[in-house]
Parts: sequence; C-alpha cells; structure tokens
Amino acid sequence: MTKRLKSKWNWARARAPLAVALGVGTAPLAEAQQLEGHLRLNGSQVMEAFEPIRAVLQQSSVVLYDGRKTMGYGVVVSSDGYLVAKASELEKIKKLSVRIDKTEYKSVKVLASTAEWDVALLKVEAEDLVPVEWSEDAEPAHGTWVVSNGSSSRLRRRVRIGIISANAREVGGGKSPVVLGVQLNNEKENLSIREVAENSGAAAAGLKSGDVILSADGQEVAKIEDLQEILSKKEPGDKVKLRVERDGEQKEFEVELRAREKIFEEKESRNQAMSGRVSQRRTNFKRILQHDVMLSERSTGGPLLNLDGRCVGMNIARADRAESYAIPAAEMVKVIKKLREESK
Amino acid sequence: MTRFALLSLLASALIAPVGLGADEEEPSRPYFNDKEAPENIRDLMKIQESLVSALPRARKATVGVDLGGGAGSGVIVSEDGLVLTAAHVSGGIGKELTVVMEDGTKHKATSLGLVASSDAAMIKIDAEGSYPFVEIDKNDTARLGDWVFSLGHSGGFDKERGVVVRIGRLVRVSDQTIQSDCKLIGGDSGGSLFAMNGRLIGIHSRVGGSLEQNMHVPIREFQRNWEEMLKAEFVGEGPFAQKPEIGKGFLGIRTEDREKGGVRVVEVAEETPAAKAGLEVDDVILSVDGKEMADKEAFSALMKEQAPGFKLKLTILRDDEEIEIEVELGAR
Repeated sequence: MTKRLKSKWNWARARAPLAVALGVGTAPLAEAQQLEGHLRLNGSQVMEAFEPIRAVLQQSSVVLYDGRKTMGYGVVVSSDGYLVAKASELEKIKKLSVRIDKTEYKSVKVLASTAEWDVALLKVEAEDLVPVEWSEDAEPAHGTWVVSNGSSSRLRRRVRIGIISANAREVGGGKSPVVLGVQLNNEKENLSIREVAENSGAAAAGLKSGDVILSADGQEVAKIEDLQEILSKKEPGDKVKLRVERDGEQKEFEVELRAREKIFEEKESRNQAMSGRVSQRRTNFKRILQHDVMLSERSTGGPLLNLDGRCVGMNIARADRAESYAIPAAEMVKVIKKLREESK
Repeated sequence: MTRFALLSLLASALIAPVGLGADEEEPSRPYFNDKEAPENIRDLMKIQESLVSALPRARKATVGVDLGGGAGSGVIVSEDGLVLTAAHVSGGIGKELTVVMEDGTKHKATSLGLVASSDAAMIKIDAEGSYPFVEIDKNDTARLGDWVFSLGHSGGFDKERGVVVRIGRLVRVSDQTIQSDCKLIGGDSGGSLFAMNGRLIGIHSRVGGSLEQNMHVPIREFQRNWEEMLKAEFVGEGPFAQKPEIGKGFLGIRTEDREKGGVRVVEVAEETPAAKAGLEVDDVILSVDGKEMADKEAFSALMKEQAPGFKLKLTILRDDEEIEIEVELGAR
C-alpha cells in the first residue's frame, strides 16, 4: 500500500503550501528502543485480551468469498439465515459464497439492498445461527473500544481493534461534479472554448476549439458561473442543450455530461496518497460512527462490537488512513427491518 | 515580529509560568502500562475508563492552527494561551495565525520560537483570556509500550466531526523522536499526544509509509528549548523550518536625509509592502519599532537586519502629525 509514496516521510499537515517531502533521516533513532510487534496495538498478545469479543465474531460475523478470495464481511442478523453486507462491495463478487463460523454456504441469495446506506440483505439456508445483539444503548462515546473483523482463516475469525474517534454525524460531499469536457479561454469576455478534452461528452457531440457557448438548456450564459449553476444540478449521464456560435453561425449541440474525474485526471491529494486503498463508496451516509480500526476496502461489512460483545454498528467504509466509518446500531435495526419487508 | 509584541509576550510569560510552574498533584502512572499487554476485559475496561475521563479536557485544549492556505493542529498548555505545535506548522517566527477552538471559536495568534532540527514550536494566542489547557508530562514519565492517545484536526478543522482521537502504544522511543501506532494523517501535525492520565507527552510531526510510523516530538524536547522558544528564537538548523534570510527584507521606498532628523520618503514603488501599508511620499520616518532613525545611514543599517515576513512598526510624521504604520516586509 505504500507504493505510491515517493518519500519515506510525509509531513502530516493538510494542504501545506510547501508540500515538501524531504527524506528526513532516521539518525536520531539509531539507539531507539522498539516495542515488539506482538505487543503493539494490533499485536497478537494484545489481541488475546479480546478473546471474548473474538468469540462473538466467530459466531456472528460472515466472511464473503469470491471463489477462494476473501472479499469482505457481513453480519448475521437472524438465526434462520438472514445476513447483511456492504452492497457496493458485494456487487464486485462474481462467484459468491459465505462462511459463518466454520461452515461454508455456497448458495447465497441477495434479497434486497439500499443505495442510501449501501447495505444488502442476504439469505442462506440455515437454522440455529447466532445473530449479533444490536446495542440499545446510546451511541458509544469517544474513546470506547471497538472491535472489527481482522484477517480470517477458514476456521478462525480474528479481531482488529480501535476506538470511537469522532462525533457521530452525517457525511456528505460525495457528489461528483459533472463537466462538459472543455477548457475555456480565461482572458476572453465570452465563453469561448480553448480546448475540447478527449473522451468527453463535448468531443462526442462535436464541439470545437473556438466555439462560443451562448446558452445552456435555453438559459443565456454570459459568465462561467452561469454555466456552472446549470451544470451543478445535473448528474453524470444527463444531457445539456448548448447553443453555440461558430464562424458567425449559431448551432445547437446536445452534450452528455460526465464525471469530472473521468475526463480530467485529478491529482491525488497527499492525504489520499498516504491512505492506501479506501472504499469506493465512502461518502453520503446519513449517519456514521467514526473509529480508528484499520480496515481495508475488503474488510468492511462486518460487525463493530464493544467490550460487552454487543454490536454498536456495521462497518461501511474505509475512509482514509486514520478513519473508518460504521452505520450506528439504531440505524441498522431500521435498515434491516425495511430490507426484510421489501424482500417479502 | 515587532519588539512590542515580543515584550508583551515575555511579560505574560513572567506572570503565568507556562506549564513548567506549580500545578496540581502529579497523577499516578496507570497500572496497565506496567503490564506487557492487557490480559483481559477488565484491563481493557481500565484503559477505556482512563481514556474516556482524560478526553474532555484534552479535546478542549487541542486546537486547529490555520495559516491561511495550510492547516495543522496545536495544543494549549497554559491558561493564558500558550500553544505547542510543530515547527513546520507555525512556519516561522512572528507569523500571524488563527487558532480554532473545538467549538469553532477563532483566536488571533502569533508564532513564537521553534526548533528547526526537531520540529518543536510555540504559538501564543494574542488576546488575554482564560483558555482551556492541559498539563505537560513535566517529569518525562512516558515509557516504551505505554498506552497513549492522539488528538488532531485531521485534514483540517471540521466542526461537525470535531477533533479526532486515536489510540495506540509508544512503539519506538529515542531522545528526539517518539513513535506510536496512533494513526496520523495530514492536518494532525502539531496535534497532541497524551498519556492515559491526560498529561501531554508529545506533538505530532510526521508519518512514514507504514501505518505504524507515526512520529511525535517528545515533550522533553520542548522543555529543553522552552525559554528560547518563549523568547521567539529560531533554534537549531534542520528540515522543519527555514531560517529567515536576514538582509533580504524588502520595504519598497527611496529616502533622503532630513535636517531635523528622521528620513523623508521620496518615492513609494507601486505594489510594494510600503505601498500596501499606506506609506506616502513626503512621510518622514521618525522611528522604527521605537528606535529613532537619525539619518539614512541608521535606516539602511536597520533594514540590513530584516528578513522577508518580518513586521516593522514605523512612527511617521505626516502633515505635522505623528502616526503609526505597521508593515510586513516582502522579499528583495
């Protein structure tokens, strides 16, 4: 996961104007004392203290497989075989099977899902499963231990630990801005096109350098802000009707809008670069708990347990190096109820 | 940094001995730090209880540091608003910054001294007041393997999210650097690392490629350089801050001698620091930072000691009236 890091150290300052990345030497550490791996936060000896919680994961978490490959986790929500998992990760699986405790289930039905929460309801043929106990207490406070699925073997579930790290809240901001795929001449007073990006809707529709955009969807556009205002209400795949002046003549074009990052390569931020692989869907959740358990994009979907072994949430996203998100228990109870009704 | 600001800072330091003076009773070392690892749920509960009870005070004292264009964190260590942070966050001496409290309240602040070799730095909130603060671990009790927690405004200040807390252990300890497995990310720089008893033991500096390489400046490095930093000195050389380039400070005026003393401005170049500060032709500079300017020679000698970013307070005679103008120097 560190391949993209160009230097050994990264300054931990956001949006630094001097985005320096010097190779600061390790010389002062030459005589350093080091803590052995098994005693570190997620070391094996520390994990042993969490054995009663691990036992809950053994029974009530679900391992998702694509063939032989572990693709994520899920939560057992009823004794008769209802499970939940992260919908967008589930979609990537071609040959789905699941494992609960030591038993593999090759026949898994995906019954329903909700894009709002990115949760899917699954069903296996089973009796006597042990569902998680959803916590009915208030949302866990900052500093509360939380336990998630760590790497799994066929017979054994392992734990990864951390704490609740920030205020429970809504995370928005996931809407991808759409673009025509043109660059405008900044110095000109009108909206004249300097360059048309390859693979863009503008190129496909036949817009050319030198064209002047006069109106969009029938509304006159004099400044770039006018155009942005119209585009801001659109989604990728939507179309916009442009009236354009070319060589003294007016023409109409219908341009399909595409997500900005699909057209213009965006520079990865330093914080993204130091975060490794994160979940594709990690924004736009009505309410999340934030914790510092190191998940990977393939270890979401499982239960988030407290020290009582109760389930305080379902892991829904790896957001960055220091942040993971879980849907709170109270919301999960509602989501599961709704999905089960839909699947009837 | 003007002489005025510096003096007032020194005065406040004398009135309230920042973090190093008398304070409440030393809290005891939690028993779980003397175990190799927690053994059972009870030990884990104790760690959780310590953390949850230390957090409210730690959160209130951990601030966002906004430099305009860049953002980091810091932590208040005295009631009158002394802030410890990283040198690469404060970015120099005498810089104007904004300190953001957890509830979003903003305070103007000025950077004091720094240690360029180890990334330690101080900031002082300008306005007098009673600010939430934490005690530092002044007896240097932190040891390898201790349970710790880190706070910081990861990715910049976010009021809805609040300050972010992470747990870990001290996994590597040396004289100038301590390393924990509390996961840090951009924006955490200058943020606080605490022992489970709520004492400040370090300041976040940088991260390595692996998630376990989270580096902090130990509090002892601050203690060693405390007085120098309070006096707004630039200590050491190193990668974390660039020394101001003395002699390169640029004002943007031409002057001539004046019979009765002082120097007369004969030209103010456009778009220069002097023009932006409102200096005008025929203004007479009587003194700079309280120091009288007898003639051109005295003035140019003073300018040779200036670096870009330094601030000067000019006492000006304009239309028989004395006015004060503050100007931030640019680069020659």
